[in-house]
Amino acid sequence: MNMAEEMLSAEQLSAILIILPFAAAVICYLIRVSAIRSIVVLIAGTVLITSAVLLIPLTPFSLSPQPFFGVSIHVIVQALDFFLLLIILYFGFRHRHIAIKALALLQIIFLLYFEFFLIQDKPDTSALYCDHLTLVMVLIVSIVGSLICFQAIAYMKNHEEHLRLNRSRQPQFFFVMLLFLSAMNGLVLSNDMLIFYFFFELTTLCSFLLIAHDGTKEAVKNALRALWMNSLGGAAFILALVGIYRETGILELQRMIIYGNIDAGVYLLSMALLCFAAFTKSAQFPFQSWLLGAMVAPTPVSALLHSSTMVKVGVYLVLRLAPAMNGTFLSHCVAVFGAYAFLSAAALAVGQSNGKKVLAYSTISNLGLIFACAGLNSPQAIIAGILLIFFHAVIKALLFLCVGSIEQHIASRDIEDMRGLYATMALTALITVMGVIMMIMPPFGVLLSKWMAIEAAARNLYVVIMIALGSALTVMYWARWAGTLMSDPFAGRFKLERQPLLTWGALGALCLVAGLSSIAAPWLYVWFAVPALNAGYAAPFIVKRGVLENTTGAFAVFPLSMVAILGFVIAILAVKKAAGARIVAPYLSGIQTHAPGVFIGPKNLLVKAEAKNYYLASIFGEQRLTTWINLGAGVLLTLVVGGAL
Amino acid sequence: MTGTAVSIVIGLIGGPLLGGLVSGLDRILTARLQSRIGPPMWQPFYDVVKLWGKEKVVVNVWQAFCAYCYVAATAIALVLFFLKSDLLLILFTQAVGAVFLVVGALSSTSPFSQVGAHRELLQILSYEPLLVFVAVGIYLETGSFKIAGLDTWDEPLLMKLPFLFVVLGYALTIKLRKSPFDLSTSHHAHQELVKGLLTDYSGPFLALTEIGHWYETILLLGFCSLFWANNWIAMMILIVATYFMEVLIDNVSARMNWRWMLGYVWAMGLTLSLVNLIWLYVG
Repeated sequence: MNMAEEMLSAEQLSAILIILPFAAAVICYLIRVSAIRSIVVLIAGTVLITSAVLLIPLTPFSLSPQPFFGVSIHVIVQALDFFLLLIILYFGFRHRHIAIKALALLQIIFLLYFEFFLIQDKPDTSALYCDHLTLVMVLIVSIVGSLICFQAIAYMKNHEEHLRLNRSRQPQFFFVMLLFLSAMNGLVLSNDMLIFYFFFELTTLCSFLLIAHDGTKEAVKNALRALWMNSLGGAAFILALVGIYRETGILELQRMIIYGNIDAGVYLLSMALLCFAAFTKSAQFPFQSWLLGAMVAPTPVSALLHSSTMVKVGVYLVLRLAPAMNGTFLSHCVAVFGAYAFLSAAALAVGQSNGKKVLAYSTISNLGLIFACAGLNSPQAIIAGILLIFFHAVIKALLFLCVGSIEQHIASRDIEDMRGLYATMALTALITVMGVIMMIMPPFGVLLSKWMAIEAAARNLYVVIMIALGSALTVMYWARWAGTLMSDPFAGRFKLERQPLLTWGALGALCLVAGLSSIAAPWLYVWFAVPALNAGYAAPFIVKRGVLENTTGAFAVFPLSMVAILGFVIAILAVKKAAGARIVAPYLSGIQTHAPGVFIGPKNLLVKAEAKNYYLASIFGEQRLTTWINLGAGVLLTLVVGGAL
Repeated sequence: MTGTAVSIVIGLIGGPLLGGLVSGLDRILTARLQSRIGPPMWQPFYDVVKLWGKEKVVVNVWQAFCAYCYVAATAIALVLFFLKSDLLLILFTQAVGAVFLVVGALSSTSPFSQVGAHRELLQILSYEPLLVFVAVGIYLETGSFKIAGLDTWDEPLLMKLPFLFVVLGYALTIKLRKSPFDLSTSHHAHQELVKGLLTDYSGPFLALTEIGHWYETILLLGFCSLFWANNWIAMMILIVATYFMEVLIDNVSARMNWRWMLGYVWAMGLTLSLVNLIWLYVG
């Protein structure tokens, strides 16, 4: 620990975390050699992971960077803010998109008013702040984000070979991917809300560029949708900043949270607007369409957007602001809104056979649960939210990378086409199944968080009912997928498929991180989650021998993990033994043939038997549900913002 | 420490013994209701022993994995119950078993298994939330999700949670694979899906699913026992009466389809739970 402190100060580490990915991005953009690009990405990612880990003993800290060549950091950000909005405005004009133009102009006007008329003399704020919540986010962004970029090296090579491009577009791609990591680290580390706002907008722009990357008509259309929806969030954000500053004169996130006078109407309304901005960022209903559209982009983009960046901004922001809303009607509304999103997205996921869409709805659903936790606002709920952010990020990244590799092999992302994938892609299928298991089963982290969330919500009837229904739907769509991957009549042999080393590395690392951190969850709770709670929130559990316990409940994480490992080993031995058993064709209620799925029927004719999954489109189909769910979300959103008035 | 060890042993060994016995009594009672004599009481054990001695035949080796995981998860859930652990944790552990049973069935390509598996998923979808509501009701009444304090609770829970007991009854009927909810597989030989979910489990692996089912039966009857936990005699009467009702319902009702099940169980379950939970909440 002391060594780390001697080696690098918090200031230097923060600088590395924010500026290094950007520098690497520029190198990737300028030097258009694939080997150099790969090395740069690998080095940048490794340094990023190391820096994030080195940050652990230094947390918490707050600091203001020294002026940069005599220019204060605030002035630089001020200039960058306008520059960024002008770029967005440019895209609005280039694609003739009225909403983007209008929203960019609106933000520019607000920002001009804010910067030059409202702020008379700039208070001496601390620009950066890092507590344990920030630390958790930095670790997620740096570790998961870097692993995704590593896998992207292999993925994009394949992707471009498939597209047969004359000129590689990978320099742009990696430029934006790495810039995204810069933006995320900057966002979670910033304390000055104007710096926060800059990075907030930067993530919007990055996601726009990444979704549009392939340049097809659909990609551009979906990217524009993402841009205008998130610009709406950006406008709400800057409006909220104006409101808060006018009311309280506060520009710092940390001071904003502990500002006591929550009865002040404008203050609470501004909080509601910040929640609104967070909902757009996290693709909550009715803004889910931008995230669903984002899957036209290469899979590493989806992995990045869904796990460690973009959508996590929204939940991070609301978890951050939760103490400021504690005990208000607004907080209650956020809880109901989140639980509603959790349930609705789970229902929509049941109706999908498109694997990436299932993943997308599952992301929206989990983010809804995190919002619900933030809204419930008890120490236990906040802890559940923080743990869920972490576990969801790791496992969702894993699953997206799995689906990406599967898609490059079988040229489909439909779950039906993944039937019996174990026969052709044994290890990838197994890792995917592991990911699914870690999403829905105890003693793994996601379920641990869900357990905490339900127990925390038990006194809030609407919320707990929606979470209970949503959980059951969640089990349904995941179990179905896992089963389909293993659905295979010929078995008994394990043949390792060929995949690039970087893909195996990323999949293996994510799987390992998810599994080990699940087992270590009680200690992660003590080391990271409890210190992340704001003052006034008491630690909700006592940890003894790896068991989380309080008066209302107990979850034996570590003992159950050990029992689960034992059970797993026994079951694997059973598989080994069964491999020596007689393998027969499935029962088809006719005269069996040697071909699976074919039996001899009447008149000695061969009959092919086939079964597909239930997707229950008549109940859970998008066409059936989306309109109504959006309508409901619109009502609740009005309640969130209107209730704060 | 010895108390913990005793609970674990009772759960692991007593559970399936009792479960098999209940299953035997169930078969006799069912037979009598249908004017038959029925098999000996120990028949379920004979069946399992016989299956255990059969040749191992699988469609897919992962069936073996899933069968073992099913038994392991249900056994752990029952042990957690005897350790008086957290109700939600027990529910989730039990759900692990249910999911593995489904995944095992899905690993066969036979349409009977596949359709059975999907129906089982719909059954899980129907009863899972109800069980959570019951747990929430118990929490609202006792202030804890842990079972530990229940045997000394002054008033039987049944008095405060009558509707939630009915809700638990729905879950029990589905879980015990009784009509009208025996869609995915049935104890009776009149299943249009052959043996549905269990079609391609055979020999020792079918025996394992049977043992897993015994664990689950005892676990669910255990949940019922919580509703009158402070008096052994009353508890026994409650359990026997509940199980008799289950057998009766099984014999007087026809199998329905999943649409009806999902709609009916969610509507009735939600309404009854809401009413009861609001009582508790306000009271």
